[in-house]
Amino acid sequence: MPLSQAEPVRTAEARLDVQLGRLRLANPIMVASGTFGYAREMAGLVDLSRLGAILPKTITRQPRPGNPPPRTIETAAGMLNSIGLDNDGLEAFVERQLPYLASLKTTIVVSIAGESCEEFVEMAARLEGVPGIDALELNMSCPNVSHGVDFATDPRLCERVVSGVRKACSYPILAKLTPNVTDVTVIARAAEAGGADALSLINTCLGMAVHWRRRRPVLGNVLGGLSGPAIKPIALRIVYQVAKAVKIPLVGIGGIAGIDDVMEFLITGATAVQVGTANFYNPTVCTRILDALPAALGELGMRSVADVVGTLDADPSPLHRD
Amino acid sequence: MPTHYADHAWHGPVTVEENVTLARDTYRIRLACPEIARRVLPGQFLMLRLPGESDPLLGRPLALYDVVAGPGGQPHSIDLVYLAVGKMTRLLTAVGVGATLEAWGPLGNGFPLTPTKHLLMLAGGIGQTPFLALARAYLGLQRYGDPPRQVVPAEQVSLCYGVRSGDLLAGVEEFRRLGVSVHLSTEDGSLGYRGLVTDLIAPVVRQSAGACRIVCCGPERMMQAAAEIARQLGVPCQVSLESPMACGIGICFSCVKKIRDGSGHWDYRRTCVEGPVFEAADVEFY
Ligand SMILES: Cc1cc2nc3c(=O)[nH]c(=O)nc-3n(C[C@H](O)[C@H](O)[C@H](O)COP(=O)(O)OP(=O)(O)OC[C@H]3O[C@@H](n4cnc5c(N)ncnc54)[C@H](O)[C@@H]3O)c2cc1C
Ligand SMILES: Cc1cc2nc3c(=O)[nH]c(=O)nc-3n(C[C@H](O)[C@H](O)[C@H](O)COP(=O)(O)O)c2cc1C
Ligand code: FES
Repeated sequence: MPLSQAEPVRTAEARLDVQLGRLRLANPIMVASGTFGYAREMAGLVDLSRLGAILPKTITRQPRPGNPPPRTIETAAGMLNSIGLDNDGLEAFVERQLPYLASLKTTIVVSIAGESCEEFVEMAARLEGVPGIDALELNMSCPNVSHGVDFATDPRLCERVVSGVRKACSYPILAKLTPNVTDVTVIARAAEAGGADALSLINTCLGMAVHWRRRRPVLGNVLGGLSGPAIKPIALRIVYQVAKAVKIPLVGIGGIAGIDDVMEFLITGATAVQVGTANFYNPTVCTRILDALPAALGELGMRSVADVVGTLDADPSPLHRD
Repeated sequence: MPTHYADHAWHGPVTVEENVTLARDTYRIRLACPEIARRVLPGQFLMLRLPGESDPLLGRPLALYDVVAGPGGQPHSIDLVYLAVGKMTRLLTAVGVGATLEAWGPLGNGFPLTPTKHLLMLAGGIGQTPFLALARAYLGLQRYGDPPRQVVPAEQVSLCYGVRSGDLLAGVEEFRRLGVSVHLSTEDGSLGYRGLVTDLIAPVVRQSAGACRIVCCGPERMMQAAAEIARQLGVPCQVSLESPMACGIGICFSCVKKIRDGSGHWDYRRTCVEGPVFEAADVEFY
């Protein structure tokens, strides 16, 4: 049916809630870990209660100072970062950041990164039963910290981490994967086999910037993760491929900056999305997207977000202009 | 314990009211944004962005230069002074009156407004921008913030302002008109003292009638040298850091600088929310 003939839907009727395995979200707009601080920072600018979920900055077992500056550099339609998981460690998070997060009505998904499979499991066990946590996201893919061990590049390790965490706690689990592999579907299937409730796709794409006159890398850490609009086509491609390879729901991440991007990810197969870098340059982007979401669903004649997910028409004939 | 949150920031479209040349590569842009103008304090900054653009993508931090009153006498607009150095600031020079930009602020801590007999403002290059509003506050000419901050007037406000070459000096007459005693230096000797602006600190401090405090903003090497001179002279000194920023609101952890605590240990601190103004003695420069 051509778009113009679609039944208009009154926006108030639209159902925005989505299900990610055992985790229910009031709406599909989440904020990506590492791009929203610990949420308290944004309280003056954003109505936090409207967000589908908040993912605070990834925590590690022990405090980490992070990488030396410069930690970020803008690139064409994106940015490179090598923050290096600067954080005060799990205990400080539970003591200082979680009480505020727990006081919000919003769903809280805590992002954790371990240096070993055992550490992931230990962190999950430590967080079990701690008030204010609704789910865990396993950041197995941070390009700035793994010492050659990347849990999201080795399918066996990935499955072990996910199944270990699944046994250690009762929280729904999102496994966040890296695009920096030859075939993400292999890793995605491993995370599914390990018992992940959903997959978060994607973390940043490994990149680099150079000052040619000084013959030096720009970032203190030499390599960094590319994010922002520049990586959206990569993220969409990965959501497309993984949607065909697994049965669990997907969370699309990468370059989302407006309602059009959100709709593209939903249609390609993501059940929810995370907004990352756009929070930096458009601090109220998430609520702007939420304002626009019902009308966008209405434009497709849909009454709920869930109805739109994965409705890509893969007919290869070219689009006609209307 | 002070909170480090951008709780008073506002984000939205702002209209350009003026965009004029002040000196070589140096421009003053006036933005209509009553929400920011009403709240902003000297030493705070805002993030400015060209809307709809994905390259440049991120906002750029620019310090408050001045607050301009509207027809009703209430704070209405903000003046920023910028040096065209790169991608965003070069595009900004071509933005016309009536255009819409995107801004968020006020951001950062601003300068402490504690009583001082002699305030010595040390500026290197475009680092002069935070000082016009600070001078107004300390000369009792304007109150900033919501509610407006009362500042005990200083007896003496000096500006030591150094640039590479005389044609880069911007706003000198404005400072003089307020009653600031201005001391200029150029590296090429084209105007004022020939050499580094930090050479002017000790003579100006010695002219103080009463207790002196130094505030500085400019290249890090200048601020590092100033911090050392202030230490030797036994004069309190604050620096306003110009760390590159991506968000300005404390959520990205890009803008960190090594800052020492009371016990001498350093930790990476976000200059956008915990600064940009720090005690010079606490900053680990390199
Ligand atoms: C709190 C704060 C207040 C500031 N206030 C002012 C102001 O009032 N007026 C003003 O003109 N500038 C100010 N700056 C600096 C200003 O933000 C940068 O000049 C601006 O971001 C450059 O953007 P661009 O796109 O034009 O340059 P880019 O294309 O991003 O960069 C051009 C060149 O400048 C370098 N550069 C970029 N940013 C910085 C930086 N922050 N420090 C050192 N080198 C940098 C880059 O590495 C590059 O070599 C301030 C910075 C901070 C942190
Ligand atoms: C500055 C910065 C810090 C980040 N920190 C984290 C992090 O701590 N944990 C994590 O899982 N992802 C982190 N990410 C990755 C984002 O969550 C997201 O996966 C990625 O940036 C792609 O989305 P975007 O293009 O919308 O930013 C970070 C990204 C940026 C730009
Ligand atoms: S600029 Fe993002 S935390 Fe300071």
